[in-house]
Amino acid sequence: MSWRNELLAVWAVTLRNALMGARNVFFFFELLFWPIVGVLSIGLMSRFLELTEAQASFVLVGTIALSVVNVCQLEVAYAVLLDVWSKSLKHQFLAPIGIRHLTLGSWVVGMVRSLAVFVLLAALGRWAFGFQVLQPGWLALATFLLGCFLTAWVVGVAVCALITLFGNRAEAFAWASVNMVLVLAGIYYPISVLPDSIAVIARAIPLTYFLDAYRAHYGFASEFRSPIATGLALSALYAALAHWAFLAAIHRARRTGLLLKMSE
Amino acid sequence: MVSFLRMLAIDARDVEKTFRSGWPRRRETPALRGVSLTVERGSIFGLLGPNGAGKTTLLSILATLLTPDRGTVMVLGLDVVREAGALRRRLNMASGRPSFLWSLRVAEIVAFYGRLYGLSGAALHRRVDGLIELCELGPYRRIPYSDLSTGLKQRVALAKSLVNDPELLFLDEPTLGLDPDVSVRVRAHIARLRREQGITIVLTTHYMREADELCDEIAFIKSGRILARGTPGELKRQIRLGEVVALRLDPARVPWLADVPGVLRCVEVDGWVECTVDEAEKRLPELLRALYADGVVIRNVQVREPELEEVFVELAK
Repeated sequence: MSWRNELLAVWAVTLRNALMGARNVFFFFELLFWPIVGVLSIGLMSRFLELTEAQASFVLVGTIALSVVNVCQLEVAYAVLLDVWSKSLKHQFLAPIGIRHLTLGSWVVGMVRSLAVFVLLAALGRWAFGFQVLQPGWLALATFLLGCFLTAWVVGVAVCALITLFGNRAEAFAWASVNMVLVLAGIYYPISVLPDSIAVIARAIPLTYFLDAYRAHYGFASEFRSPIATGLALSALYAALAHWAFLAAIHRARRTGLLLKMSE
Repeated sequence: MVSFLRMLAIDARDVEKTFRSGWPRRRETPALRGVSLTVERGSIFGLLGPNGAGKTTLLSILATLLTPDRGTVMVLGLDVVREAGALRRRLNMASGRPSFLWSLRVAEIVAFYGRLYGLSGAALHRRVDGLIELCELGPYRRIPYSDLSTGLKQRVALAKSLVNDPELLFLDEPTLGLDPDVSVRVRAHIARLRREQGITIVLTTHYMREADELCDEIAFIKSGRILARGTPGELKRQIRLGEVVALRLDPARVPWLADVPGVLRCVEVDGWVECTVDEAEKRLPELLRALYADGVVIRNVQVREPELEEVFVELAK
């Protein structure tokens, strides 16, 4: 396959997801409602608990990161979910499309949407609670967002793999399992407060390292020696594993007939 | 031999497929039990059979959507398992129960699939416009898929299935649920595709008239096995259903007709007496002589082959 065709296939998925998103009022609900509720509740709670400015920034960074990852991973999962819901999965996989096109195309839309969510939440955080998102500088912010996007990609592809493996009845299980893992990434607390056995899991999550690196700019000592390098390395490892798992799940679905069943 | 194989669009040998489901107790459902099939390039081939016979399973294997458990399947000279990626560029499929993303508009659906096959810019626009015109979807090009009627959805599926100019087209129940006038147009369109573009078409259908009208060859499949194959005419002869001698008589009822040697059965349909005979050429003069001798006035006589539907019923028993 030529580069031109590769890019065209990715663009086709990007355009498709963007059009679907733009025409669904509930997609906007996902995009705006819960992230705003999250920042407002956490911000108000930090005011009630009389947290210092740095402590409030610590939890707000976590809340915003969770929203960015959630919005982006949801869009990546739409790579499969839209076709599962519309029962068009067999048409999709009858065409010369690879899972790289599906996931990358969806990821592009996810990044754009979650970037919009980030800008909105950062503005809300600044206006309501004086949270300075740019305090760490542009480079640190870009690295932090990249970490969020990479984590979202891994989570979204893992959800795709689980749904393709177990069928659409596994949807709830897929969301629950990946969200449970995310919460362990030290969204609202440093992972040093976790019991050792759970902290091991937290150390295996890329987002933990990106949060750690970003929060260091708000005066919290880093718990890791090279958090960004570790986060990137873990992301690369999981991205490869998730891609392989999704590929294997598609092969299995072609063998078991699940691909057809999900289209009926 | 080599040139013969090149002429084949499909060469499937001893294909087996069993679906396994349930946990912890596994259930096994054999869907195909050693199916062998060849389809010549440029032909229209029909797969007929009752529900659950294995038609869709076979079609899905040929279209690379399902992998066979055993056997070899070559489609357009490529192995459906090892060379599936290259094969997918050259084939396509339309289903009688189509489904696409609900919010996308007609033109957007066709364009989406066009891009997946490497079309872009002016070439993509030309192809989309051409297919929309061909499938008479012009007034609906900006309508979301979920707002379309069943017939229009099927036309979208047909347009999508032609977006890559396929060499081989699979049509799974292409006229299911369509109004008769639309069905006629779809059938005419299928015939034109083969005639003008030389596309090989494999279709499944429940409508025998459709199979009779369109297909060069037909295979009857039941319980995962091919029971018979041939041209519609060959099948009717193979099954030995006999031929039908239809008579319009005065008086209309002649009770002794069913007892004439060589007459298998007689039924009355819309004022005609339809006698199924073992061999029309031999039995017709005998019948006419006997009727004349009995003083019965013969107002009209027609001889016809049995309908494909009767062959289907016989094989499905």
